[in-house]
Amino acid sequence: MAAGGPAGGAHSVCMVSDFFYPNMGGVESHVYQLSQCLIERGHKVLVVTHAYGCRKGVRYLTNGLKVYYLPLKVMYNQSTATTLFHSLPLLRYIFVRERVTIVHAHSSFSAMAHDALFHAKTMGLRTVFTDHSLFGFADVSSVLTNKLLTVSLCDTNHIVCVSYTSKENTVLRAALDPRIVSVIPNAVDPTDFTPDPSRRDDSTITIVVVSRLVYRKGIDLLSGIIPELCQKYPELHFLVGGEGPKRIVLEEVRERYQLHDRVRLLGALEHQDVRNVLVQGHIFLNTSLTEAFCMAIVEAASCGLQVVSTRVGGIPEVLPENLIILCEPSVKSLCDGLEKAIAQLRSGTLQSPETVHNKVKTFYTWRNVAERTEKVYDRVADEVVLPMDERLNRLMSHCGPVTGYIFALFAVLNFLFLVFLRWMTPDSIIDVAIDATGPKGAWTKQYFFGKKGRVKEELPSS
Amino acid sequence: WQKVLYERQPFPDNYVDQRFLEELRKNVHARRYRYRAVVFQSGAVVQQLCSVCVFVVTWWYMDAGMLSPQGLFGAALVSSLLGYVLFDAVDSGAGRRESGRTRWADLKSTLVFAAFTYGFSPVLKTLTESISTDTIYAMSALMLLGHLIFFDYGANAAIVSSTLSLNMAIFASVCLASRLPRSLHAFVMVTFAMQIFALWPMLQKKLKAQTPRCYVGVTVLFALAALAGLATVSSVGAVLFASLLLAISCLCPYCLIRLQQLKDNIHGPWDEAEIKEDLSRFLM
Repeated sequence: MAAGGPAGGAHSVCMVSDFFYPNMGGVESHVYQLSQCLIERGHKVLVVTHAYGCRKGVRYLTNGLKVYYLPLKVMYNQSTATTLFHSLPLLRYIFVRERVTIVHAHSSFSAMAHDALFHAKTMGLRTVFTDHSLFGFADVSSVLTNKLLTVSLCDTNHIVCVSYTSKENTVLRAALDPRIVSVIPNAVDPTDFTPDPSRRDDSTITIVVVSRLVYRKGIDLLSGIIPELCQKYPELHFLVGGEGPKRIVLEEVRERYQLHDRVRLLGALEHQDVRNVLVQGHIFLNTSLTEAFCMAIVEAASCGLQVVSTRVGGIPEVLPENLIILCEPSVKSLCDGLEKAIAQLRSGTLQSPETVHNKVKTFYTWRNVAERTEKVYDRVADEVVLPMDERLNRLMSHCGPVTGYIFALFAVLNFLFLVFLRWMTPDSIIDVAIDATGPKGAWTKQYFFGKKGRVKEELPSS
Repeated sequence: WQKVLYERQPFPDNYVDQRFLEELRKNVHARRYRYRAVVFQSGAVVQQLCSVCVFVVTWWYMDAGMLSPQGLFGAALVSSLLGYVLFDAVDSGAGRRESGRTRWADLKSTLVFAAFTYGFSPVLKTLTESISTDTIYAMSALMLLGHLIFFDYGANAAIVSSTLSLNMAIFASVCLASRLPRSLHAFVMVTFAMQIFALWPMLQKKLKAQTPRCYVGVTVLFALAALAGLATVSSVGAVLFASLLLAISCLCPYCLIRLQQLKDNIHGPWDEAEIKEDLSRFLM
């Protein structure tokens, strides 16, 4: 089962992010799938996130992946509030109990991820950070968040980005040395996204859109494309999956042009339903205005659809030219791209869904992602964690005269707090948790079966 | 090496290519300013400062009894009529034809406004009697400052609000008018405030757009008049005000142009794309 054992010895990795199941999204599935593949490769992995409603405490997922849902207050958009100190007691307990060697934080929007990085450095653990999003430089809010990112990443061992554009963005935002930033793309599970041409209605042409209906996904552009093309092609149908504040715009367009039978708005989709929607279409349209990687177009291509997308962010890096038609983010350019795809479809020069699927299948797999992430861990494990004095120097020299000194002071306070906590409950009296992960973990051992009844198992759709 | 993710390349994941950051663009939207143009535009600020100055000096004279309300009313009426004629003459009536507003409508609103102010002037006079004079002065100063801050100088910013600005100026004038000896004084003061804070900027805007040379001349003359008026009240104040005007019209543009060279704005493929088309036509 394991595709070759870990080269540099097994790591004990703690994934920290505010975003995890039951919340749905790119970061959530990334953390879950990466953890599963790392467990498969023989590492110990646990996930730390905040409590979601009544889901709090410890849960076990497939293959004994242990998830801590910590009782921390959610502030905004599923991100916890940060004081930089209040999470130290809890996180220290976890890091010590689980004998964590590497802390891997995800998403720059997650306050908990930054907190965990800060505490891990104070405790002398190695740190890795994965950035999943792009950010601008122009307005006040981005200037402030970029400064915080600089502080958070200046003494982090290694950073992972999901595309080359994202790497350039992160290097500029956090003023980093590009050599400590690796590019490891996201992946999709190709067995979840298989083509099924029998589900298509070939008497019509169906364009599928699956995205949250928000401004950043370019739904305003879509509201211009729909009437433009529906007037030109009477056999054209649109299938829109997703929910959001821009839904009203699409409804108005549908009303205004009397397209109720040709534009179907499906509302929010469960992750497992996405494939069933995708296979009903011939062409997939993505109108995003900014995107670090864009899993949606890979999922669509994996289902054998012709992809038409805007040329923004990391999208040009994701699919080869013969599988995607790239357009400028304007109604006219996108209509031209779609018309090109329709012409190809009518003349039958489009590649068959099976060929496209077989090509895309080889591009992005979670096993490959895990392999490359493992290399990052091996590299980090050989590095030294900055001792306190050098860390303070780095903060003061790297983050500017004001911010640098403030955060250096915070780092000292955090260290004193840690010393106090160690005096209250020494590391030696904290129990070591039983390792339940993986095929060789306690999970599968004979003596553990008696306890299994007590452990809940959650099977998210994978 | 290619900038693609779908191919496995024989480089480590943290490989940094020559082409790293080659699509980085700097200062795409940065504007190059010319000194003369900035000085010309600063005229709007100078004009507004002078308006406030003239208003306060006029109030001072009224309060000291050196200016009769009849005299001020007459002078203001004459200059308003002159301005009214000028307002249409500058663009030879093009603006009026566009808006479709008749002279009868102008006369009506003037009469209604004058009648109401005259009728309510005894109320204005006694409105703030129970408030201490110091409070009134502080409040007027604050309101005039607010007027200057929120005034529409032609910048496209969130802070600009001409309604708020005008309201603050009128509030200040009501406050100050209530400290004058009689209700006729109060009536004349409020009308004068209307003329200098509401009508005068409209004429200025039109002058600036149609005859820039004339506008520069008017600005200089107005500034000199304000300074002369202030000098009769306080010579130190006049010197300070003169240096403020000079700083705004000469020093500030110079600083702006110097600082503009230090601008370092980063653009690249990670920027959020802007929708440049007008999409509302699809919903019309």
